[in-house]
Amino acid sequence: MTAFIARRIVHSLFVVLAITVVIFVLVRLTGDPVAVMFQSGEPTAEAIQELRKNLGLDQPIYIQLAIYVKDMLTGNFGTSFRTGESVFSMIMEKMGATLLLACGGMLTALLIALPVGILSAVKRGSAIDFFGRIFSLLGISFPNFWLGIMLIIIFAVHLKWFPASGYQGPEYLILPSVSLGLILSGILARLIRSSMLEVLNQQYITTARSKGIKEWMVIIKHALRNALIPTVTFIGLQFGTLLGGTVIIEQVFSWPGVGRLVIDAISQRDFPVIQGSVIVLAFLMILVNLVVDISYGFIDPRIKQGGGKSE
Amino acid sequence: MTTAVAEKPVPNSPKPKRSKWGKLLRRFLRNPGAMIGMLLLVLTVVAAVFAPFIAPTDPDQADLRARLAPPSWLDEESESTHLLGTDQVGRDLLSRIIYGARVSLMVGILSVLISMVIGVILGLIAGFYGRWVDDVIMRLADVQLAFPFILFAIIVMAIFGAGLWKLILVLGISNWVGFARLVRGQVMAVKEMEYVQAARAIGATNLRIIYKHVLPNVMSSIIVLATLNVAVNILLEASLTFIGMGVDPSIPAWGGMLADGRNYIETAWWVATFPGIAIMITVLGFNLLGDWLRDELDPNLRA
Amino acid sequence: MKKRIGLLFCSLLLVMGTIFAGCSGQSETGGEQNPGQAADQPVASGKKGELTIGVVGDPHSWDPIDTFLLDWSTIATSVFEGLVERTVDLKIQPGLAESWEFTDDKTLQFKLRKGVTFHNGEPFNAEAVKFTFDRLLGEEGAKGPQQANYASIDRVEVVDEYTVNMILKEKDPVLITKLAGYGAVIVPPKYIQEKGDEYFNTHPVGTGPFKMESYEKDNQVVLVKNENYWREGLPKLDKVTFRIIPEATTRLAELNTGAIDIMKKVEISQVSSVEKNENLELMTVGSPTVYAIRFNTKMKPVDDVRVREAIAHAIDVDLLIETILGGYGKRINTFQSDMSFGHDPSIPLREYNPEKAKQLLAEAGVKEGTELEFYFPGTDATFKEIAQAVEIQLAEVGLKVKLNPVDNSTFISELIPNGKAGHMYRQGWGGWTLDFDNTAYLMYHKGEFWNPDFYDEKVEELLAAERSTFDQDKRLEIFKELDRRLYELVPEVPLYQSINLWAVNKRVKGFQPPADERIDLKEVTVE
Repeated sequence: MTAFIARRIVHSLFVVLAITVVIFVLVRLTGDPVAVMFQSGEPTAEAIQELRKNLGLDQPIYIQLAIYVKDMLTGNFGTSFRTGESVFSMIMEKMGATLLLACGGMLTALLIALPVGILSAVKRGSAIDFFGRIFSLLGISFPNFWLGIMLIIIFAVHLKWFPASGYQGPEYLILPSVSLGLILSGILARLIRSSMLEVLNQQYITTARSKGIKEWMVIIKHALRNALIPTVTFIGLQFGTLLGGTVIIEQVFSWPGVGRLVIDAISQRDFPVIQGSVIVLAFLMILVNLVVDISYGFIDPRIKQGGGKSE
Repeated sequence: MTTAVAEKPVPNSPKPKRSKWGKLLRRFLRNPGAMIGMLLLVLTVVAAVFAPFIAPTDPDQADLRARLAPPSWLDEESESTHLLGTDQVGRDLLSRIIYGARVSLMVGILSVLISMVIGVILGLIAGFYGRWVDDVIMRLADVQLAFPFILFAIIVMAIFGAGLWKLILVLGISNWVGFARLVRGQVMAVKEMEYVQAARAIGATNLRIIYKHVLPNVMSSIIVLATLNVAVNILLEASLTFIGMGVDPSIPAWGGMLADGRNYIETAWWVATFPGIAIMITVLGFNLLGDWLRDELDPNLRA
Repeated sequence: MKKRIGLLFCSLLLVMGTIFAGCSGQSETGGEQNPGQAADQPVASGKKGELTIGVVGDPHSWDPIDTFLLDWSTIATSVFEGLVERTVDLKIQPGLAESWEFTDDKTLQFKLRKGVTFHNGEPFNAEAVKFTFDRLLGEEGAKGPQQANYASIDRVEVVDEYTVNMILKEKDPVLITKLAGYGAVIVPPKYIQEKGDEYFNTHPVGTGPFKMESYEKDNQVVLVKNENYWREGLPKLDKVTFRIIPEATTRLAELNTGAIDIMKKVEISQVSSVEKNENLELMTVGSPTVYAIRFNTKMKPVDDVRVREAIAHAIDVDLLIETILGGYGKRINTFQSDMSFGHDPSIPLREYNPEKAKQLLAEAGVKEGTELEFYFPGTDATFKEIAQAVEIQLAEVGLKVKLNPVDNSTFISELIPNGKAGHMYRQGWGGWTLDFDNTAYLMYHKGEFWNPDFYDEKVEELLAAERSTFDQDKRLEIFKELDRRLYELVPEVPLYQSINLWAVNKRVKGFQPPADERIDLKEVTVE
């Protein structure tokens, strides 16, 4: 087991490094940040040259990369081209809001998916099952920005139940969380339904039923508990998707998170901020996946034999 | 992207039952969800294939003075002759939505085909060669998964510019991991089988093993994954237009029409709403069908 | 918590219902909706004396020498002040300097205002002015984009506590205007020396009517009244909050809910929504920004002036303005606004004449169906529609236009300067000095960043002549000749001068939308 964990950690480090290289090269292909900065001024060739030198962009790309990786290993993600602030502290400042949104989305997804999934499984083939599934599929049939706009217009402008955008208190979390979570809820409900079905057909459930235990007790205590194991794993794996989804939701709801930071940075060609944000986001996803994989390894001993589960 | 990466190794039944597909058809006819899904998809496909015959006008024919005309059934003065109204430059919305079925289906299906080809090939390579080759490919998969897709797409399109083919390509190259993992798992499982090793011993080539033993067993899972991914990719096209990285606005792409129409939601709601409904119908169709296929074809659920 | 979850569930159920029903419902009731809807709009959500403004983007770096963003100027104008100021209608007036005069050709002397202090209590004086320009022109300024705008200044010398001399390297006819620009606002010397540049970046201190209370990047900026402001009795507001809301749909929603009082950048597509709500007022202001379709004059077939002229005749600009812009745009004859020094109203507008266009194309030997690439930023919702209309109109004269919406920054930094933006591309230019020199030199002088392809000997001569003299009458004559020459050469099709739209809650009094997006809140009050 220790060997397995060690190997996974080495792999993860490799992946972080690879992502660093990829993003580093990609951003440098997007154009000259100095030209973007001068867009409304009267740049002279010397001024452009000078600024480029100040930003460290006059070096060959592999040297820039080497310096960047070396700094990164000491926890230094450089400073913003635009503001001179430390990139790491900029990201940390925004990470809280993004994680909050991701958790809100996850919570919404669970709140919807659990009842829908359980009911669909228990009443398999009934009208409840049918409509429950249609409902959860409808949730994934809209682009999430559109869902966000509709929620704002209906619940903020017309019904005035929730604030439309920004972040000034817990009630501001509701609409963005729903827009983010609804998409996941569909997939999650489907998963809960199928794992419930699987469990409900097991021997011990039949045994429990035959003992005369109340049906809902059987469902909650015996079935659900076992059905939740794959669900938890799945949630871990979907965390990345949620984080990715925040990029657009933050834009719609003016949510001050990492997604906004990085979209702004892309439009201003603030290379260190783009690189830092992508690396930190990727790192988070890898970390969550690593934890999921390791805990999965504890739950499911087949993993140790190096079977089919991807590493 | 939102689709679960199916990664359960598929237990192998070396000889697929012959009646499998026939049985499937019978079960299909008894399942209302699947039927509705199919119906919605047929609707879209018919629109795409027969667009020139169904569409009331040429989708590019515009009349600036008649821009944002309301749907004819809403127009009190009944001046508008357009069933679903007109768009921002006065083109018939219904015709554009009908032709748009071609674009959206093309984006969804082609991009998934690309993912499928990349994924299957990489999965086969990883599975057969194992060792460091496998390691490299699987780390590549991790890199792909950990890179937030929307950011990847924005950056790539900032470099190469937007366009229909570029969009398809970007969607295609960033969604192969699920397919690769499926195929790889199957190859690894099959490789150890005695009869496969026996087949090898008597000179069966890898290609033959792939054809006979690997593909038949993962085919159903691949189809399920592909169906669900088509739906996801159709939605992503819309999200990219929202961020400003969409396709040429004169191409009738539903996602683009929806995203570009969002500012009119309170004044000329039809501009965004009808393309939105078209997307919903198609995506729902793919999801319903994919969902049902998953139930039917995923052996883990055949309780 | 339980209640909230309940609400959440209700919301979800409702969404699904309303998305189906609501969309059609919205319009059916559209007619009678207006009075009812308006009635239950919140009259005012904020307190008296407090104002909330919804803006598009974050100011990013607060340091004036680091910035070039209009998003910065919208907010920072309330915090920082320069020696001279531009009013919202772009007239120059004294700011922190009471008066100025040229003591000789290369010395500009300023008399400074007395009794002004920075927000931190530091006095404003000659030292502060010298420090500001030393910083702008020195090493610190070299790291930012503003220095290049002030290259004509050599140094600033202190004469006495309230007098400074600005020593120039060369004559600069638009220097005074430039001193009202972003980079030349006066910053506090002690504060910056003690706290450092990085701290200053997020904690700005100036002499303006409002001082910063808090700043949360990408979320909001809160400014409070500067009690010691040097203009007696101003500002009238106690507190101004700027909320950063990039998505126009969301911004309008916030205005409708009453969460913001002023909305910057109303999209033309949203105009009738604003007009429908009787608590809101739509305010328009002519902007110096002009839009044109520029050509790559080295690319076939638009290297032929006849083809360029044909395209100009094939586009019905008046129709575009009337329909797509809803009238919110002013047609222009040359690539400069009517506020620009050098604008010649006698240059005719090219009339819409598809027959003539076809004839010119035939003369130039351009075949029917020739393809032209047209580039523009994909985030510009309005121009996206203009571009489609242009595509349709050019199709009528047999030209096939391929539209390329691209990332704005790539467009600006890579495509245009390297001549890779197709046969034609959108160019929007403000000419912030309101002197044609800014536009003309950068757009037509060979080898300039914005001009990778155009060259004309006569134009070069005129540009050199215009720069060599200080005599404004002479310069105007030269500009007029330049205007005519450019009219003949058609390096671009000038389209329109844009009109900026703001939406304001009627409880806000005394707000005037600014032509340059720098809002003046000194006189604004809230009921």
